Amino acid sequence: MGIGNKTQGPLTPAVFAVLLALAENDKHGYAIMKEARTPQGGGIEMGPGTLYGTLDRLMRDGLVEESGVSDDERRRYYRLKARGRKVVAAELERLQTAVKQGRALGLLPDGARR
Amino acid sequence: MSAHSRRIERLYARALRLYPRAFQESYAGPMRQALRDALTDSTLTRPRFFLLLLRDFFTSLIKEHFAMLRETYSRPALVFNALVLAGISTVLALALYAIPQQVLRTGANDPQIQLATDAAARIESGTVPSEAAATGDVDMARSLAPFVIVYDDEGRPVASQARLNGSIPAPPQGVFRYVREHGEERVSWQPGSGVRVAAVIERVGGAHPGFVLAGRSLREVEKREAQVRAMAGVAWLGILGLILVGSVAFGWITRKKAVAAAV
Repeated sequence: MGIGNKTQGPLTPAVFAVLLALAENDKHGYAIMKEARTPQGGGIEMGPGTLYGTLDRLMRDGLVEESGVSDDERRRYYRLKARGRKVVAAELERLQTAVKQGRALGLLPDGARR
Repeated sequence: MSAHSRRIERLYARALRLYPRAFQESYAGPMRQALRDALTDSTLTRPRFFLLLLRDFFTSLIKEHFAMLRETYSRPALVFNALVLAGISTVLALALYAIPQQVLRTGANDPQIQLATDAAARIESGTVPSEAAATGDVDMARSLAPFVIVYDDEGRPVASQARLNGSIPAPPQGVFRYVREHGEERVSWQPGSGVRVAAVIERVGGAHPGFVLAGRSLREVEKREAQVRAMAGVAWLGILGLILVGSVAFGWITRKKAVAAAV
């Protein structure tokens, strides 16, 4: 089953981090890895093998594409497609619902007061 | 870039050759570039990055090889063809066992049919039932010789050429009921533990109504059936093995086209 079919289900941390990193703008491989490492990018440490394996599957599923822009023969840039944007938005909504529940249960501080 | 970093990159470039060819062709260059970028990233501590790189290399290597195998061998047409061939070979193997088994089993009745018919005819033409089965001493547990047993109309033994553990066994009453209605029955009869007999039971009419049972041990026939079963089993496993090897080879030969189409 492709990742694009899982719009209702949770994404793997690597897929989520890559899609989230590309939601901001087109990025090359290392920029995605770097963004994924940040807390706001998902806090995922991934190496080149995991990154390009994930990108390969995301491209096959039509969520990401190569932008065609390159500042170096080896440095390819990737872009989020509309379908990929929908998938990452659905995942964020799912997480937001879980966070709301966490707040309601007192597991997290109330975001409005912070 | 330092000489140390260049050495690491060369080593990584060699290691990348272990990835599946299609993946390597698509991403080896960008992966080397990502490594180069990481090595020049001052925010990243080297030991932490090398540990990550090592872990990432092995996990993604395994993952990509599995993905390649899945893409190569989980193609519906390949799986469907293999399953159809496996189904055909299973039916053929079953036929290879069932047909000779039936021939052997029905052939095991041949002399008994003649013996039972003759004995029944003799009794109906006036021979005393107790004399229709000439005295014999066939040990049903050991002998392969055919034998005749005569029963009265109630299914009680009247005369017998064979004994089992010193007594004359009788088939279940249901067999006699069936023969009373249909005239004849051919059954595999187990008069005792480990003793199986190919029995033909005929109805006897006339002045001395009753039944004639002609039987013969199935021991040798069942040995032959076991041989046929073993041969059919070996043939089946052999064909399944060939289908597996053929499917793997076909999947491998056609893998590039499939991967290229998927990308």
